Amino acid sequence: MMRRVVTVAAMLVFAATAIPMQPVARAGAGSTQLTFTVWTFAVDTIKENINRFQTRVPNVTVNLTDYNWGQYNDTIVANFVGGSTVPDILYSSDHWLQQWAAAGWIAPLDDYFPQARELAKSFAPYAVEGMTYKGKLYGFPYYADPMAFMYNAAVLRQAGFGAPPQTWAEVLEQAKAIKAKGLVQYPIGFGFSLDEPFSIETVISMVYSEGGNLFDKDLNPAFDRAGSAMVKTIEWVREALRAGVMNPESLQWDGVQAGNAMKGGTQVFFITRASGLWELNNPQFSKQAGNFQLAFMPGATHETVGFVRFYAMSSNVPRRGKEALDAAWQFLNYFGGPGPDNNYPVVRRWALDFGLGFAQLPLFKDKDIRASFGRWVNVERLESIGQKHAKVKQGLTPWFAQWDVFARAELQKAYLGQQTAQQTVKNLASKWNELRRR
Amino acid sequence: MARANSRQRLGPLILGRATARPRGRLQWYAYLSILPALCFVALFAVYPVAFSVRLATHRYVLTDPHNHPFEGLRNVAEVLGSYYFRRAGLTTLTFTASVVASVLAFGVTVSHYLNRPGRLAGFLRVAILLPWAIPVVMAGIIWKWIFNGNYGVLNALLVSLGLIPSYVSWFGNPILAPLTLVIAHVWKWGPLAAIMCLATLQAVPRDLYESAHIDGGSGWAAFRYITLPFLRPTLLILLILETVGGFVTFDLVYVMTGGGPGDATSLLSWFAYAEIFRFLDLGKGAALAFIIAAVTLGLSLVYVRLLRLEALYS
Amino acid sequence: MIRQRLIDAGMTAVGLVLALFILGPILWMLDSSVQLDRDLFTVPPRVIPQQPTLDNYRYVITRTPPKSYERVTMGGRVSGEALSILPALRNSFIVASSVTAVVLAVGAVAAYTYARLQFAGRDLTYAFILTSRLIPAISVAIPVFVIIDRLGLLDSHLALIVVYVAFILPFTIWFLTQYFGYLPRDIEEAALLDGCTRFGTLRRVVVPIVAPGLAAAAAFAFMGAYSEFLYALFLTRTIAAKTAPVVLVATAINFDVSFALASAALILTIVPPIIFALVFRKFITRGMLVGFGR
Repeated sequence: MMRRVVTVAAMLVFAATAIPMQPVARAGAGSTQLTFTVWTFAVDTIKENINRFQTRVPNVTVNLTDYNWGQYNDTIVANFVGGSTVPDILYSSDHWLQQWAAAGWIAPLDDYFPQARELAKSFAPYAVEGMTYKGKLYGFPYYADPMAFMYNAAVLRQAGFGAPPQTWAEVLEQAKAIKAKGLVQYPIGFGFSLDEPFSIETVISMVYSEGGNLFDKDLNPAFDRAGSAMVKTIEWVREALRAGVMNPESLQWDGVQAGNAMKGGTQVFFITRASGLWELNNPQFSKQAGNFQLAFMPGATHETVGFVRFYAMSSNVPRRGKEALDAAWQFLNYFGGPGPDNNYPVVRRWALDFGLGFAQLPLFKDKDIRASFGRWVNVERLESIGQKHAKVKQGLTPWFAQWDVFARAELQKAYLGQQTAQQTVKNLASKWNELRRR
Repeated sequence: MARANSRQRLGPLILGRATARPRGRLQWYAYLSILPALCFVALFAVYPVAFSVRLATHRYVLTDPHNHPFEGLRNVAEVLGSYYFRRAGLTTLTFTASVVASVLAFGVTVSHYLNRPGRLAGFLRVAILLPWAIPVVMAGIIWKWIFNGNYGVLNALLVSLGLIPSYVSWFGNPILAPLTLVIAHVWKWGPLAAIMCLATLQAVPRDLYESAHIDGGSGWAAFRYITLPFLRPTLLILLILETVGGFVTFDLVYVMTGGGPGDATSLLSWFAYAEIFRFLDLGKGAALAFIIAAVTLGLSLVYVRLLRLEALYS
Repeated sequence: MIRQRLIDAGMTAVGLVLALFILGPILWMLDSSVQLDRDLFTVPPRVIPQQPTLDNYRYVITRTPPKSYERVTMGGRVSGEALSILPALRNSFIVASSVTAVVLAVGAVAAYTYARLQFAGRDLTYAFILTSRLIPAISVAIPVFVIIDRLGLLDSHLALIVVYVAFILPFTIWFLTQYFGYLPRDIEEAALLDGCTRFGTLRRVVVPIVAPGLAAAAAFAFMGAYSEFLYALFLTRTIAAKTAPVVLVATAINFDVSFALASAALILTIVPPIIFALVFRKFITRGMLVGFGR
């Protein structure tokens, strides 16, 4: 018995040591190291971009780390709290900017790069707003998009509807008809998971679309008034779930899973970033490619959220000194700006290869991009939504991220009918005030 | 016999009397030999607790990194007074009660099956080690997929057996979601309970049952008057382990439900995690952690007390 | 006679249901790991593999998708972490074996003292060591993080080893104290009379007899260190130190997870502790007999 144990133990130890360590990228002599942290999306493409960047700017070496989107903010927070191994450049979102900036984790670009302010003039205003804290710019856009309502036109036609719904009541009506005809079991599905940062953007878009406001000018909650757009939105979701036209898995889903249901033809209506349509209408990924259309957000004003995700620079970089700052500028300019050759190498690539929206306005004139977008979206409508209807999220403050996480769970309770919409907005308002006082 | 054995049976929790009398050098050896262990444990018990006291009595909000006034018991009071703490507390109590009951029931019944002769029972005696050997987060991942609302194999199985008309959203339902946690927990920890009970059952002298049989005792009576008294210490240990284990459950929640839907599976440990890592309020997080620690310590002490009484009267 | 047969049949049925409950989940993972996503993402999922394939394992191990592999990564969301299960397993092994070694050495020495010697402060220190285990892990998460950070150990094997030793040691000491307590004293006394020191007695006389107990303690320690998740989650950052549970969870709770790939990774991760458990089965059971039986 003992001998057998020893043998197996020896084998296990041998197996453990025989597993090769991952090759670690070795930096060339004299080059500046930058660590770059992203959420997981098209990591292979990011690696290619890094390689191209290193070829073009040979004195900088970039080490990449990626974390899941759903746990991204948690992970980054844990990294910064530790403080000893923080990334130099990292993806951020307007959700989190003020939280990170207030904690001193990321550095304002204007303080170190006077040219950044000038470049920001070429970005869409809502994106600049989303990257600004206390009047200072904290990033260059990775991508920027309006939230958009999309539908499967083929199923709608089958159900006898010639046009997409104009109001939220019509969405329910059409969904019930589609279900009644046995075309699709759950015509509606959103990404409302507790781990989905996009979920608050879906909800706020629905509030905006009815002309509602979340907060007044002094950041006091406006959503908790009786009959507010938020209350109506909550009641609408509750009704959709109760009537069995919204997939109950929505509370577990992020946008990707709801998108998969769309692609598989088991869902008809969806709200996500407008560029999500690229994947839906791409025959490589989607059985229903070509059937999906972009609509104006249903509701009285059709307004929606415009958001920005961007490259932020951690406070670690200025601490490291001038050399690191120079490298960071090269990186930011290459990834979020026009780059050394004035051709927006990375932003343009995301737009062409993944349909990601952009805030770098000069690119709207790019012929290739217009042609490419035309293959999966009605470009005029997309532009019109982006320019006329998209608004930055109200309430972006250092405590927005916490309030958002809290709101996801509270909203779910309301959707499930565990508490009334009125009680929910009351809880949300008191949490807002509590976080604000803190 | 029972009395003679009581100290041994209680062994797990109290220290028996050592006979060796210390003399000079031996005394030194004794201290030297426990020193490394004490250092390790102290470093990660004394300092952290002291540090936590500081956190809990000050304002430590990470988004405001340079402002840490002393606040006394305000964090503790705010946590205790909050509606969310009460909800999480209630959820945790329900969860703990369910897992304690299920794991103990699983342990007792399954160990009886395992104690049977025959090939199947022999096979199961080996197989039952597997869930115990699998790390708890892996168990969570496995069950998360089994319960998946769209593609889960359980939904497929239940539909094909005609037990449910259509796929159920297990994690989207505030009553079913905690149930999935309980099932995963029982799968992971029930086997250990069964193995422990089995070890105890095998120690029951056969002749006791035989004499009971002669007296015309039914199966139930044999269980009630012979097996149960033997099992009692094991069950009490399991009761402690499971109560504490249920109370601090975190991994399964992290992997399977993320506290949802709504806050249906938001157990206290998860609540503390969220307070620290999502709401960045270290002060409140530490206060909450203290409350959890106090409750588990308190419960353990009550149980140990019960065990001692048990020892006195058995 | 018929009644007996019915009872037997019923008992067999119960056993089979039990077997299904215990083994079903593991078999389903094994099953998923040799299929492709297109067969798993169907309603109902395919239970009997149409064409069993090792492509998932190949993908996880070599990190290059085999030709037959369809693009599961819609939108390219398979995390870089997802495919680093092998280095993660290596980390897990290094950490768990080191913890086991330290815990056994330190624990056995202390436990022998507790089992055999009477000295001032004995009960107090023993109670202290045991009680420390009752502090829930989440309760001291922040301070432990701070200690490890100040020691400059974040994201290293050593960080996990130190923390796990502190957390597992109390159990080891308790378990071995129990175990030593049951050993007959005569042999030791004889050795002592022959002029051995206490430590010498422990090493030459006691250790061989208690090998089964040590093996069980080792198994428990290894399993504990191998399984730990919470601390591994926030004391590690990169694949230099991330352990298998952390990597696997990152993969598996990703919304866009590939069932097939993650199943393969999961199977790779659970095989070592299962082998461990089966090999040490006798010791573990015997150890429990000592700890909980009698």
